[in-house]
Amino acid sequence: MSHLSTFTPGSDFAIDLTHVAKTYRGKVHALRGINMQVQRGAVFGLLGPNGAGKSTLVKIMMTVIRPNRCEGRILSFPVGSKATLAHIGYLPEHHKFPDYLTAAQALDFYGALSKVPRRVRRARGAELLELVGLKDWATKKVRGFSKGMRQRLGIANALMNDPDLVVLDEPTDGVDPVGRRDIRNVLLHLKSQGKTVFLNSHLLSELEMVCDHVAILVQGIVSAQGTMDELTADSRRFEIEVAPPADGAPEHTQRLLPAALSGVARFSLTSSIEAPRPSPIPPPPSQPSGPPSSTGGMTPPVPISSALVTKGELAGGVPIFIEGGSMRIGTDDPVVIQPLIDALRARGYIIRSVRPVRASLEDLFMKAVTDPVTGLVLAPGAAPNGKHTPRGGHA
Amino acid sequence: MIMQTLAIVRDAYRDLNAKKLFWLVLMLSGIVVGSFAAVGVNEKGLEVFVWTIESRIFNSRLFPPAVFYKLMFATLGINFWLAWIAAILALVSTAGIIPDFISSGSIELVLSRPIGRLRLFLTKCLAGLLFVTLQVGVFSLAAFLVIGIRGRAWEPGLFWAVPLTVCFFSYLFAICVLLGMVTRSTIASLLLTLLVWAGIFGLHTTESLFLLLKEHNQLKLETLAKQVDELQAEKAATPAETPTGTDAPRPAQATGAKPRGPLERRREQLEETRQNSGWIRRTHSILFLVKTALPKTTETKDLLSRKLFTAADLDRMRQDQKEPPPMNFGADDVRVDEREVQRRIERIINERSVGWVIGTSLLFELVLVGAAAFMFCRRDF
Repeated sequence: MSHLSTFTPGSDFAIDLTHVAKTYRGKVHALRGINMQVQRGAVFGLLGPNGAGKSTLVKIMMTVIRPNRCEGRILSFPVGSKATLAHIGYLPEHHKFPDYLTAAQALDFYGALSKVPRRVRRARGAELLELVGLKDWATKKVRGFSKGMRQRLGIANALMNDPDLVVLDEPTDGVDPVGRRDIRNVLLHLKSQGKTVFLNSHLLSELEMVCDHVAILVQGIVSAQGTMDELTADSRRFEIEVAPPADGAPEHTQRLLPAALSGVARFSLTSSIEAPRPSPIPPPPSQPSGPPSSTGGMTPPVPISSALVTKGELAGGVPIFIEGGSMRIGTDDPVVIQPLIDALRARGYIIRSVRPVRASLEDLFMKAVTDPVTGLVLAPGAAPNGKHTPRGGHA
Repeated sequence: MIMQTLAIVRDAYRDLNAKKLFWLVLMLSGIVVGSFAAVGVNEKGLEVFVWTIESRIFNSRLFPPAVFYKLMFATLGINFWLAWIAAILALVSTAGIIPDFISSGSIELVLSRPIGRLRLFLTKCLAGLLFVTLQVGVFSLAAFLVIGIRGRAWEPGLFWAVPLTVCFFSYLFAICVLLGMVTRSTIASLLLTLLVWAGIFGLHTTESLFLLLKEHNQLKLETLAKQVDELQAEKAATPAETPTGTDAPRPAQATGAKPRGPLERRREQLEETRQNSGWIRRTHSILFLVKTALPKTTETKDLLSRKLFTAADLDRMRQDQKEPPPMNFGADDVRVDEREVQRRIERIINERSVGWVIGTSLLFELVLVGAAAFMFCRRDF
């Protein structure tokens, strides 16, 4: 392993990586200079399409793959140090336990390899099997386990050495909804214990429920990284649903609302425009299958959502969009929308709902995998020529 | 460190324990040892259970029970059963160790532990020898007890079978380990190992054949030289027919008008044998050199006989042996003492040191395991 940094104790980061690069056989650029920091005690989610380099990055951290270049530390030890691994619990993707072992024997074996003393192994093994719901299966051979049970055992195995950092590669892969909830509870339990959890998953909704930090990896580079709040700051808004006054017709609401709000907002003279939604997050792309389009075989650009909306501005330049009976106000400050609500109520409008809204992880993900210039969804997989490649084409 | 090593060894045992083949081989070993108990010798011949089969060859006058049982152990037990049948079954059982170990999903679970790759790999390889160690250990112990009780001969030398058989198997296992690393396939590594083993055996057989030819030729040379000397002396004692002496060719003989005399014929044979000797020696030297670089499976297991049998035991066995048939080709009428050829070959083989047999084989093994370990340490999984 090249470019290893020296040991620096007391870092705030459980994982602090810079310039991580890996090229397979000199051609396939799996990672192209990853910089990534994970705070101690955080639940960190790594997202990315298939072949983005997520598992390669995890395997580099776990010394399973040798990087071409890697600087940084994990738990204050240089990346690649075997000593660090005693403090890390790891659940590999598609792991295979020897099928001649029972669940308890598997935990004992891998615990011993992690230098966990025998007495501790016994007590902790039983405790963990209970935690993941396999207590009654302790003496059963792994060969009889279902996919979900193996996954549960894998999670117990990752916790066997009471790690400071838990790295889970697709922990809910093949697990039923009940199992997913159980795994989520385990993750929250770990978080409450102050453990750092590094999650690698495709299941965005799962990650959204537990992660406080995320990084999105696309074609070997980190496309976005930060807390959920940081990443969704631009997309935060309020949505207000109203019903017309008792004497008003619902179909005229969009036309009448600008007049009702004339005291608090200014609307353009052309009240009806064809415009994109105010969210910076584009909607999901259309299916790539089907006959070739005019883009010459490429996936057509992500269609920008078009609707008949009325655009205006509140005081301070806060944008407001009216579409039917709903309004979108481009702010996350509740103070800004109070005069609006007052004006609506004064005109007899019924406030059906006021909701703070922010982009979902899926929105963030789709934004990350979409070329901002062309609107094309980037192709899955690593970058063969070290550049971004759109789906079905070359950059 | 010890905890991790013990864990790997314990895991290897659990792996064996779960394999039906391991218990099948152990059961068959029990049958082989059981057959030792069923067979014995008395003055008249072979004892099988309560019956006696009269034999001129196998009886207690020629073979005392202790020698008889040792002979059975070395030939049937080790050379036939453990070194062939059980070794093949052991290979079948252990060929998957490395391919399974490095398969995707398994390797991540072990490489992500605080243990160095080199130590992990070497410990895994050593643990792979557990199958044979347990098999031959149990077999030798059982044979020791049976021979002690049945033949009244407590022979601790039998336990030499354990290190020698493990050593013998480790050569094959090293080949299997390297092929397993390269191919990642159990079937491919097993079949290729068997192929290499057959190649090594073929080379050994060819080298043995050329050794026999070489020694036979050498003795023929000596015999012919002696005969030529005798004929010359005989000729010198009789009145000379020509003034030029016996060494000069007779004009009549040169033209073929008169049949050659025995002296000339022997001289021609001597010259021809000398010429043959040259290429036989060169071929044997090349074969021997190649063999030196390869593992010596047959010689390794034959070392047990050196440990078990005294010179007197070997002489006793030889007494009964019929003289090997003469190796005469075509119109060759030179009789060579084949027993002497056998004795010379035995001496040459016995003079091949344990260091040469085991040392060079282990060196070969070291190179193979080293190459496999290098690949393991450098590979991205």
